[in-house]
Amino acid sequence: MTPDIKWLDDPTVFRVGQKPAHSDHQAYRNNDEMAMGQSGYVESLNGNWQFKFAQDPMSRPQDFYQEGFDSKDFDTIKVPQHIEFAGYDQFHYINTLYPWEGHAFRRPAYALDPKDSGAGMFSQANDNHVGAYIKEFTLPPEWKDLPVRVQFAGVEKAMYVWLNGHFLGYAEDSFTPSEFDLTPYLKPGKNKLAVEVFKLSTAAFLEDQDMFRFFGIFRDVTLIAQPKVHVEDLSIEPVPTADLKDGHLSVSARLVGQVAGTKVKLTVQDAAGNQLQSTSQSASDHLTITSQILKNIHLWDNHQPYLYQLVIELDDSQGNLLELIPYQFGFRRIEIHNKVILLNGQRLIINGVNRHEWDCRSGRVITDDDMKFDMRTMLDHHINAVRTCHYPDQVSWYQLCDTHGIYVMAENNLETHGTWQKLGQVEPSYNVPGSLPQWQAAVLDRAKNNYELLKNHPSILFWSLGNESYAGDDIAAMNHYYKSVDPTRLVHYEGVFHNPKYKSHISDVESRMYATPKEIVDYLEHDPQKPFILCEYMHDMGNSLGGMKSYMDLIDKYPMYQGGFIWDFIDQAIEVNDEVTGQKVLRYGGDFDDRPADYEFSGDGLMFADRTPKPAMQEVSYYYGQYK
Amino acid sequence: MANTNKQLHIIYGDGDLGVGGDGFHYLFSYSRGGLESLVIDGKEWLYREPKPTFWRATTDNDRGNGFSRKSAQWLGADMFSQTTDVAVKVNDQAIAFPGAKTNNQYSNHEFSEKIEVIYQFETATTPTTNVSVSYTVTSDGTIAVRVHYQGNEKLPELPVFGLRFVMPTAATGFEYDGLSGETYPDRLAGGQPGTYQVEGLPVTHYLVPQDCGVHMKTNAVTIRRDRTKNNADRSERPFRLKFEKLADPFAFSCLPYTAEELENATHIEELPLPRRTIVSILGAVRGVGGIDSWGSDVEEKYHIPAGQDIDFGFKIRKG
Repeated sequence: MTPDIKWLDDPTVFRVGQKPAHSDHQAYRNNDEMAMGQSGYVESLNGNWQFKFAQDPMSRPQDFYQEGFDSKDFDTIKVPQHIEFAGYDQFHYINTLYPWEGHAFRRPAYALDPKDSGAGMFSQANDNHVGAYIKEFTLPPEWKDLPVRVQFAGVEKAMYVWLNGHFLGYAEDSFTPSEFDLTPYLKPGKNKLAVEVFKLSTAAFLEDQDMFRFFGIFRDVTLIAQPKVHVEDLSIEPVPTADLKDGHLSVSARLVGQVAGTKVKLTVQDAAGNQLQSTSQSASDHLTITSQILKNIHLWDNHQPYLYQLVIELDDSQGNLLELIPYQFGFRRIEIHNKVILLNGQRLIINGVNRHEWDCRSGRVITDDDMKFDMRTMLDHHINAVRTCHYPDQVSWYQLCDTHGIYVMAENNLETHGTWQKLGQVEPSYNVPGSLPQWQAAVLDRAKNNYELLKNHPSILFWSLGNESYAGDDIAAMNHYYKSVDPTRLVHYEGVFHNPKYKSHISDVESRMYATPKEIVDYLEHDPQKPFILCEYMHDMGNSLGGMKSYMDLIDKYPMYQGGFIWDFIDQAIEVNDEVTGQKVLRYGGDFDDRPADYEFSGDGLMFADRTPKPAMQEVSYYYGQYK
Repeated sequence: MANTNKQLHIIYGDGDLGVGGDGFHYLFSYSRGGLESLVIDGKEWLYREPKPTFWRATTDNDRGNGFSRKSAQWLGADMFSQTTDVAVKVNDQAIAFPGAKTNNQYSNHEFSEKIEVIYQFETATTPTTNVSVSYTVTSDGTIAVRVHYQGNEKLPELPVFGLRFVMPTAATGFEYDGLSGETYPDRLAGGQPGTYQVEGLPVTHYLVPQDCGVHMKTNAVTIRRDRTKNNADRSERPFRLKFEKLADPFAFSCLPYTAEELENATHIEELPLPRRTIVSILGAVRGVGGIDSWGSDVEEKYHIPAGQDIDFGFKIRKG
């Protein structure tokens, strides 16, 4: 397989050589590791890497991935980190316009002309900066003879990967993991991993989120070993009975390796750790284990996020333990009944927020402490739901939501705002993905990455197709994909509001953003077909959040009004040392000479960027507390 | 001469009307158009004369929906309105304006139970309208302030209406009996009634400085300072001034900056070093809104229509 720089220009190429997306379960070697939550099958590659920044593809170091390449003029960069925070590239905040606005004329490949392949648009562009990364590593001795992969949890926006000079593959979709099998090229002693990251590719058209525009390796990089037999993918389906009293549990797994002779044991424990069930059977490549009925189940919801735990154990034919996989699951039922969304038979009320991953000192590189702080803040203020705007978050966030009963609208990494809305007007002349066949596989891949990774989280009630991307056949295909793989959850998408002819194909809910209370009443009073959600409301920019009562009153009046997600949870601003006083200060778009910019428009949080609450938080706490 | 009868000692000066009593002395200026000095226990509380205030530093929502542009006249009014008339009442009886030489009839032994000074302001708007500010001092030194805005429907909606006090040094903090946190007419349901201590003069750190720090439904606020600008006063012992409701609760903000100073800054760090205390006692506050930040207006009932009269009042006394 030979890498091709032209993939950057080609919307039909978005994953090459990657392992298929799979569930986010963690395998352990033994009970001690499982109890500690520290697996001997993983090894972090975070830390210092060698790094070379290039202004454009033409001037990039072309052969740095080769063994024997002399990298003495490379710098050192921290991984994970945005390349901008390392000081190589300018911070830039812009909302709907593409970041190259006024600097480069671009139209998405095939959007205006079926013959326009976009050749050279990114691969020959002088605004497409490049980061070349090198990391040398030595495997732990106990991993000898085991298959090993590398996992990149998040890289913006396109990357090529090599091991010891051999090309492994290519990835886009910045916010879901990309995994490459290292096994064929691993050597004893030192191995050389090389990664070439591009700031722009066709993925940039799909990632036009309202946020600071960064690139680089911004989430963890991990080596993952697997035993000779391994559960590659796990699908847990806890289904309550119709009366919600008992539950069925069905677990299917895809195994890889020398499966013959392997024994699989599945145990189910309650929240207190008492074993409820245990079954054993011979393994097969595709395995389904159905438990006996679980009597008198505890349901999972915001008030009582009751989680059961299952453990899958694989033993070889001699009875040696290969791996242990724990996973917490919950029983809950989400459905639409008489045009009202019900959770466990009760009307669902969403007291939600939109949440970008943000830390003013590191951008979208956020820590466990940041996540715990955010969760604590939500719980303290009666926030019961989060929309992961507008991309999948780090997986530990979903675990926190499972544990604490926060309902999740799990959004795809998709926003193409600049292709269909210009100067406030709907003008989709070059919208992507639209109904373009050349763009459909890329967005379906994003839907699949999101689903496969996160499908076992009880907190996820909605799959969201993306944000502000208009509507066409391609987004309808995403909707169809979710419906085909997951009948247990609802699909959400707002953008169809601007192209209503797709309403019957896209979204289980009528979703709007920033509709006035009067407009909502107008919808609800005129033969509404779908339950109503505000995926964004109460735009909390600066000193705002007045008039919330008018929205909350709708909850009492209209059963089909099911609440909304406040825009948003935390200001996006960057902490710097003031050039005049030396004090720590917060800066926003345009403060870095970045133009065009949308300035302070990213300051819409219930918290300031340094995580202190805005005064409006007490109002949210009050109203959301009324509808607990 | 000792003031043994606990009445107010009135000094009918040529430029100022002095009002003295046990532990307090006030100067009502004729030339400067307002209360020029408010001294209690030897401590000066005023840096400049209290003026009607009409402007709030543009919030992001005000900018987005064009409110500041539509109501821009009130920024000029906030800065440049002038006093047009001063009148004095003694024990509720109007007297001839006691300037020179009418005041030659008085002595240094003038006492009364009660004195009222009424200033008329004309707004720097087109058309103009009038505001009257009346100060009634009673013998214990309490000042009852009554403010009246005369409605004029030809004027744009008001951002805010109140009386702004500029104090000579930065307060070390304040205590108020009202609602928790920063509240506005359309964002006060979460405010818990109580008594709250605030240290220093915090400015809410909105990314772009804007109106902030308003506290609705306040029964009383006490400002605490520990410095004066008097070169002979080296004491750092705290001293206090209290604003209390007359009949209805009021709104206030207590900040180190005027609306204009906040308006001009694009970042918190651009604001001047805090040197003074700006206390705005507010009779009408516009809501902040929140539907969106690019056009939606504040809900109608939280507007301040220019065509309706506004009246409010409060008391000032030693804290």
